[in-house]
Amino acid sequence: MESSRDPEDPLTALNVADDARRRLTAGLRLPTGFYPMLATGIAVQVGAAAYGIAAQTVTGVAVALAGVAVFLGVAALLLHRFSRINGVRVDGLASQVVLAAGAGASVVYLGALAVGIVAAFDSRWWLVAVAAVAAGVGCALGARHWWHAYRHDPAAHERGASPRVLGVLAVVACLGCAALLVLG
Amino acid sequence: MTGLDPLIHAPTRLQLVTTLSGVSEAEFATLRTALEVSDSVLSKHVSALVDAGYLHSRKGVHAGRRTTWVGLTPVGRRALHEHVAAVRRLIDAVE
Repeated sequence: MESSRDPEDPLTALNVADDARRRLTAGLRLPTGFYPMLATGIAVQVGAAAYGIAAQTVTGVAVALAGVAVFLGVAALLLHRFSRINGVRVDGLASQVVLAAGAGASVVYLGALAVGIVAAFDSRWWLVAVAAVAAGVGCALGARHWWHAYRHDPAAHERGASPRVLGVLAVVACLGCAALLVLG
Repeated sequence: MTGLDPLIHAPTRLQLVTTLSGVSEAEFATLRTALEVSDSVLSKHVSALVDAGYLHSRKGVHAGRRTTWVGLTPVGRRALHEHVAAVRRLIDAVE
């Protein structure tokens, strides 16, 4: 049945407000090449971490740090481009990109990292590469799953770690790697 | 039982806070386009809701020009949920 769209009618007011939110969120677009770039950044980080941890040398830690730097650079670029294209910031997306916040993506990432590290200790570099690619693809698929859920219900999926929290976590991660460098 | 919130009962303000509930922050012009209102109307409502603690705003840059970014505070988010719940209760009672 068609609503009268009387703005004073409470139900109409709620529907009009929902329409305004839908108008904004339905128009949001991910930057071109978002998923491949995310997958590549994560794959580089996992591969570098596996090599660096297995190498247990200063060079290895430097490689691992470089992998983190590449990943953080890609993540920052993707989030900046998203904000620039759409004129909005969505913390839930930032958490998906930087923290692989979905349960499935986290499991895939940690599993692939563990496999990559073990493979690197055994010098099975083909398996390190497979694990790195699996981590990248898994996290990209996790981000894609979240994006579809967000588009379906933005209010329920919008929240995540703020840029300040993500910045602090990035600094802590870098300091951890630096500590490894010093202690190693 | 919490009732209707007079600060966000007006249709434009309800649209403003509902729209912001779908993002963490929105740039002023993006919000103006989504709400289909003028700069002055949006600015007036944003100022009132910032004063009430429902919204936060900050100066920033978007596409190379200075602009204002606006977001919902936890207080504003809670107020929106309670207001929507109160409206739905009202509708249910009438029906």
